[in-house]
Amino acid sequence: MSAEILEKIASNVVQGRVEQEDEGFDDGFEGQPAVTELVEEALGKGIDPNEILIQGLTASMTTVGEKFEKGEYLIPDMLAAAEAVGAGMDILTPHLLKAGVKSKGKFIIATVAGDLHDIGKNIVAIMLKGAGYEVIDLGVDVPTPKIIEAVKENAAPFLGLSALLTTTMRNMEEIITKLKDEGLRDKIKVCIGGAPTSQDFSDKIGADGHCSDAFAALDWVKAQAA
Amino acid sequence: MITIAEKINATIPSVKKIIEDRDAEKLLELARSQTEAGADYLDVNIGTGSGSAEDEIEDMAWAVTTIQAEVDTALCIDSADPKVLEAGLKARGERPALINSTKASAKYLAAVVPLAREYNQPLVGLAMGEEGIPKTVEKRVEACLKIAEACNKAGVETDQLFFDPLVLPVSTDVKQGKVTLETISAIKAAIPEAKTIMAVSNVSFGLPKRKIFNTAFLHMAIMAGLDAAILSVLDPTLIGAAKTAEAVLGRDRHCRKYSRFWRDK
Repeated sequence: MSAEILEKIASNVVQGRVEQEDEGFDDGFEGQPAVTELVEEALGKGIDPNEILIQGLTASMTTVGEKFEKGEYLIPDMLAAAEAVGAGMDILTPHLLKAGVKSKGKFIIATVAGDLHDIGKNIVAIMLKGAGYEVIDLGVDVPTPKIIEAVKENAAPFLGLSALLTTTMRNMEEIITKLKDEGLRDKIKVCIGGAPTSQDFSDKIGADGHCSDAFAALDWVKAQAA
Repeated sequence: MITIAEKINATIPSVKKIIEDRDAEKLLELARSQTEAGADYLDVNIGTGSGSAEDEIEDMAWAVTTIQAEVDTALCIDSADPKVLEAGLKARGERPALINSTKASAKYLAAVVPLAREYNQPLVGLAMGEEGIPKTVEKRVEACLKIAEACNKAGVETDQLFFDPLVLPVSTDVKQGKVTLETISAIKAAIPEAKTIMAVSNVSFGLPKRKIFNTAFLHMAIMAGLDAAILSVLDPTLIGAAKTAEAVLGRDRHCRKYSRFWRDK
């Protein structure tokens, strides 16, 4: 019985449905219970919140990622799924805290100094939250000292940097140099992303990886932990 | 509508290579084909991301000089770095150019507005300030008014200004298409002497059938008061959409422009 409802939650994440009245990726879902109603129902039945998180919410994002990679899912489909996971998480979080479940680790994310682009960064942040990481989003146009400060303060194992301008992507190199100067470089893994960036550029500035989209970022962070 | 041809942009990998290799022939090919398609301006954005800030200054000077040696079309000098803008303006000699762009932050205004004044060329102002692209129409218009005020103080006439309402992908926020359209109308109402300009294709990022989406958006934007667009002038569907909108709105006497555009196509 618990398996059935968890499966339903997972399929509604893939459909990207937050509430009962939402449409899904496929036709004909309107009116049926969606992620928020199903998560409440599962909690009401006494199912372990951590099980709801992993089997209901997190695992299904892998399916979404595969569909996105194949081109079957587009950006709005991916965002709908991430929104559904986020809505489920909002309900689960107090229960998870009560049960003493820890996050998968802190992930600091920022758009570098001089750059105000936030769409890509926000999508990555949503996906990471959905995958169980504690995301610390420093926002846009974040000066290098502020990023270094946040790394120190949080002792975070992961840092994600975004830049959409050829003029601002250079600041990523400065951040990595500063991490080295402060003796923090070997304590943190750094990934970069944004339209003008590339694996070549990542290698050149000494980052730990280039992520071409949000799912690449998820794969990257999983690979670091492995 | 004033058209600004978008293809000379180093964020496109093939163009990045042209800039890095100093391939004058290929650069001129892009300039000529877009000129033949009827572009009023050729956008020139040479930010490759591979070199230093100094490299970009040299790249801009090279691109402008190379194009202008053979092609007469006015250039739209496009960079987020005021020094690169200045390099383009210097290299252009006495030819007309559109400066693209400044935003409503003190730092940018101080660096870019004097260029518009000194070189006496029109300037694009982005509807954003220090904190990124505002989500609301009011805040975007506020940014434009701030730019207009700074320009007036510096002696740049309002009729020399093009305001960009900014276009965000509808795929990531479905409300943003309407915000852009309403911002165009609001700018025209608040600063009627100024023109409006936008890059069309960003609206459909991440969606299928982008041409259809872009066409519909352009129709609506022209209705809202768009004067100029950065777009693919090589795409007859899109340019045709602009001609159609202007004919529908009664701005094309005897539908001359519309008919002539389609005559041999």
